[in-house]
Amino acid sequence: MWKKEEAKSQGVAESSPALPTASPAMSSAAAREGSTTLPISGRASACISQGIRIKGEVTGSEDLFIDGHFEGKLNLTNGSLTVGPNGEVKADIFAREVIVRGRVDGKIVGREKIQLWSTGNVAGDLQTERLAIEDGAVLRGRVEIETGKPIDKRFGASAGSGKTGTVSIGSGSAVDQ
Amino acid sequence: MSFLNKLGIGTGAGRSPRREVPWPMGSNGRPRVVGPTAAAAVGTARVPELREANRVSNGLKELLWNLDGLGRGTLLDLGPAWQTTLSFFIERGFRVSSEDILREWKEFLSEEEAKLRETAGRTQEAPDVSPAGRAARFLEANLRYPVSSFDAILLWDLLDYFEPVASKQVVACLTELLRPGGVVFAMFHSKKPEGFHRYRVADSNTLQVIASPVLCPAQRVYQNREIQDLFGRYRTMKSFIGRDQLRESLFIK
Repeated sequence: MWKKEEAKSQGVAESSPALPTASPAMSSAAAREGSTTLPISGRASACISQGIRIKGEVTGSEDLFIDGHFEGKLNLTNGSLTVGPNGEVKADIFAREVIVRGRVDGKIVGREKIQLWSTGNVAGDLQTERLAIEDGAVLRGRVEIETGKPIDKRFGASAGSGKTGTVSIGSGSAVDQ
Repeated sequence: MSFLNKLGIGTGAGRSPRREVPWPMGSNGRPRVVGPTAAAAVGTARVPELREANRVSNGLKELLWNLDGLGRGTLLDLGPAWQTTLSFFIERGFRVSSEDILREWKEFLSEEEAKLRETAGRTQEAPDVSPAGRAARFLEANLRYPVSSFDAILLWDLLDYFEPVASKQVVACLTELLRPGGVVFAMFHSKKPEGFHRYRVADSNTLQVIASPVLCPAQRVYQNREIQDLFGRYRTMKSFIGRDQLRESLFIK
């Protein structure tokens, strides 16, 4: 079991050239690998750490952790992207799963799920199957959830009675609840 | 266990060690009130102090009655992005846009102040500091949506916190964004509010009232006539006053 894990991590290291733009950051991440200080997601195989600034396009199918600045386009078809608390991303993001703990300016498509943590700040539209927003997260944009579930057009049995006390405009009175 | 893992959608559970933000949960599954000591103990993690109270909302009930059967409607929520509010409308087929406009207003005022300091003494570069000029600049960068984009707008009690001139311009802007027949749900304090609260939808006739740190001080207590003037372009207004002196109003375009 443990050997399997080792083999997996080696495989990840080998696949790193698939992300040429991120390679300088990844080498620094690899240098720190032994210190086990990779924050948040131990699964993140590549890391753009704090203080690194990248402009360009990143594509791949591995997981990526960004705690630095990134500007451009991010396309991780089967990977997960985590934007760390210090991360600032100005990009349209396409990934299987997106976790935001920092700042993102751009559209996010998280095929399976998107999570906004309390420190997360997103300015852009979200498109996903599942969305989780922690209290304190800031979102400025449109949310589109794509589920196969049929839409419930009614707002519950208690709603829609239409019998609540109402006051027409200009009357100046109101109904005590 | 983090809040997200509690929901069953946290990442890395059982697969690898990860640093988690402690998120205290009450027995009912909701975050419980966190005292200052507990908040300090988690270090840099920001755990907001939440004090919740439920409030029966006839205004919300009436809003939902107006939206009933709409199907894939569009809604603009001008409060903070709460999971419960977004889920409530999304599950009913709405496409929800979220913009915490009061937070934007506060940040805008801070930026304006900084700009004023920079341009102090240089009268040629000084921006128009009149409330109307300030409001116009604010709306140049916010509420940028196509005309007639929304079927409903959740305005909450935010107008009480804007400068009166800005409130007027915000309402005019929202009127443009609303489709004919669309609804605005707003709330007004009948007396100056003692604290600052945020609201989220708990169910179809209940709002959760959450005490929050003050973003902006309340600017004005609107009288009924002033509210009618603000929303003069709307064909119908319905009001409900609660015992907590909060007036809930629905405006139908």
